[in-house]
Amino acid sequence: MVSVPLSRRGFLAGIGGVGMASLLGACATGSDDSSGAAASATLTLQSSLSDPDPKAALTKVVEGYSKTPVTLNTIAIETFRAQLPTYLNSGNPPDVLTWYAGSVARDYASKGFLLDVSDLWTGNGACAGFSDALKELSTADGKQIFVPTNYYWWGVFYRKSAFQEWGVQVPTTWDEFIQVCKTIKSKGVAPISMGTGSTPWVASGWFDYLNLRINGAEFHRDLLAGKHAFDGPEVKTVMDHYRQLVEYIDPKGRSYSWQDAVTPLTAKKAGMYLIGAFITSGVPSDAVDDLDFFRVPIIDPSVPVAEEAPTDGYFASAKSKNPEGAKELLSYLASAPAQQQFIQLAKSSNLPTSQQVDTSTFAPLVQKGIKLLNESKAITQFFNRDSSDELQTTADTALTKFLDKPGDVNKILAEWQASAKKVLGS
Amino acid sequence: MTAVSAPPRRRRAGLRAVPKVVWFFLLIPAVVEVGMVFWPAVNSFYLSLTEWNGLGAAKPVGLDNFKNLFADDIFRGALWNNVIWAIGFGGLSVLGGLALAVALNRPRRGVGLYRSGIYLPMVFSLAVTGLFWRVQYQPDGTINTLLGAVGLESVEKQWLANPDTALYAVLIAAVWRQVGYVMVLYLAGLKSTDPTLDDAAATDGAGAWQRFRYVTWPQLRGVNTVVFAVTVIDSLRTFDIVWAMTQGGPYHSSELLSTYMFQQGFTFLNLGYASAIAVVIFALALIFIITYLVRATKEEVA
Repeated sequence: MVSVPLSRRGFLAGIGGVGMASLLGACATGSDDSSGAAASATLTLQSSLSDPDPKAALTKVVEGYSKTPVTLNTIAIETFRAQLPTYLNSGNPPDVLTWYAGSVARDYASKGFLLDVSDLWTGNGACAGFSDALKELSTADGKQIFVPTNYYWWGVFYRKSAFQEWGVQVPTTWDEFIQVCKTIKSKGVAPISMGTGSTPWVASGWFDYLNLRINGAEFHRDLLAGKHAFDGPEVKTVMDHYRQLVEYIDPKGRSYSWQDAVTPLTAKKAGMYLIGAFITSGVPSDAVDDLDFFRVPIIDPSVPVAEEAPTDGYFASAKSKNPEGAKELLSYLASAPAQQQFIQLAKSSNLPTSQQVDTSTFAPLVQKGIKLLNESKAITQFFNRDSSDELQTTADTALTKFLDKPGDVNKILAEWQASAKKVLGS
Repeated sequence: MTAVSAPPRRRRAGLRAVPKVVWFFLLIPAVVEVGMVFWPAVNSFYLSLTEWNGLGAAKPVGLDNFKNLFADDIFRGALWNNVIWAIGFGGLSVLGGLALAVALNRPRRGVGLYRSGIYLPMVFSLAVTGLFWRVQYQPDGTINTLLGAVGLESVEKQWLANPDTALYAVLIAAVWRQVGYVMVLYLAGLKSTDPTLDDAAATDGAGAWQRFRYVTWPQLRGVNTVVFAVTVIDSLRTFDIVWAMTQGGPYHSSELLSTYMFQQGFTFLNLGYASAIAVVIFALALIFIITYLVRATKEEVA
């Protein structure tokens, strides 16, 4: 869910919905008749990167691979998400697929669908130089099953010139942050922009961060795994802090998508926006250089600093006809030149996972993002990637309701816990 | 060969007169229909009795999906919203379409322009209609601006973000598009009525309402059947416009059965549960249409 083209994706999803009945049927018959003609010599790379720039970038990167012929299938992300289990479960699955690290990859690994790529993580393997946090993220049951190739950071984005105009400094503590909100509001500007209309998952950004700052990454992960209750005292403290923000959040954001909510920020009608680095794709080029971000303020200094860094990459199918070839392709995709080429051609602010990529040519903002993540003690993915899309909608319901009626917080949390239990129990 | 056996022979001869190749051409669409429509439909009935996430074999769970469905607040909300939708969407578009058709039936200067103008929204897909109206409903969009211009600032709302108005805001957009279609159906119906009956009633001193109610309306029975079927089917299959405008939000307040089914099926991969919702939608459509058709044919016979 935390991917740039969400609203467009949702839209494509809608178009797909018309074909519900026939699709269901197609699934039920479990037709695996994808032609066996494709010789095992040719590798299939199934990609969900259907936006023009990332798609062109991956096409170019794949063209540079000469060892085995590779067929690149690009599929609209919503269809890809829905069909992913079918791809992996079919008799002749794609060899390599794009997807997300974290609980979703682990989930497939636990069903035995993913190829063990542990040898890429040792010795001279392509992933051997990646950070321990990434390795841990790519591990399921002691084996590595994922190859991360890029990730991005979250932060509170703002315009430097606007902060200057309003005479405010970047806050580092919670009290300073609330003070900044107050000052900005006194100028007749909405302090915080947040597009929770067609992209309600944006509201989870603040929830995740407040939970990370107050209860820490360990608790956050356990909460999303169902080991703690959403109506417990810890989450109530989080919501107490969230409640302090409500009066500073632009009320119009409730009608906006995350992309729409960028406009007030660039027009200086809103002060700050907690969002992922993908925001740069939505900011006009003349404002990009004026855009800066700061770390979500520390609330409890004794809690180790954690940041959200959703990670994208590839996994291979356990049933691949050519596992060695698939691993070689993965190694190529994970290599520093391929990562660099992809990131630059995709025009994203994503960070490479390979430490050998020369990042000195990257924009100063991106360099700052690398520094932010290097300084943090723990990395989380985002609400949906640390749990599931289904749990995400329970959060969407609870948090958007909370933004409308912060006074009903206890009732909302109790409902959230009930619906989360249903999701996690199934 | 006696004369007695002649008639059946002739009938058989009639069948034989149809060239084999025609049967062959009939067979192709029949196979396509069965394979692409009926078979998947039957499958979703089977799936509704299972628990299946798209992986491996579906696990039969009996009627559990349906039991859970009726204990599910979101489903019940969506069902209720569907009732509001069927009444609101059906009622408004039929009343509006009929009123427009009657108003624009008589040839007058510029009437063609009005008719095409009203039918025009129909050329947009529902998804495009949704996107268009979403812009109008934005906090700084046309609707709030117009309300502000006539001094109704107090009525200004975040139409799509407010759980009390979201469903109705989408409803208006859908009716805006549908009304032209219903109008055209009724215009066609009005064209086939006998104008001399109307004139005769007028001569006898019947008022405009009486002439419409007792002379024109009974002649529209055939069109009514079509309009009813089209409206019920359209209101139950409504999906794209809601998805484009609110995706069922805020917090499920504009959820319809179709959007909930889509979310369960394709976002969460609860394919058994989603199929159960699909079966409910199918049953609802069937009940409405069969009752109406039975009533309509009875009236015709009577």
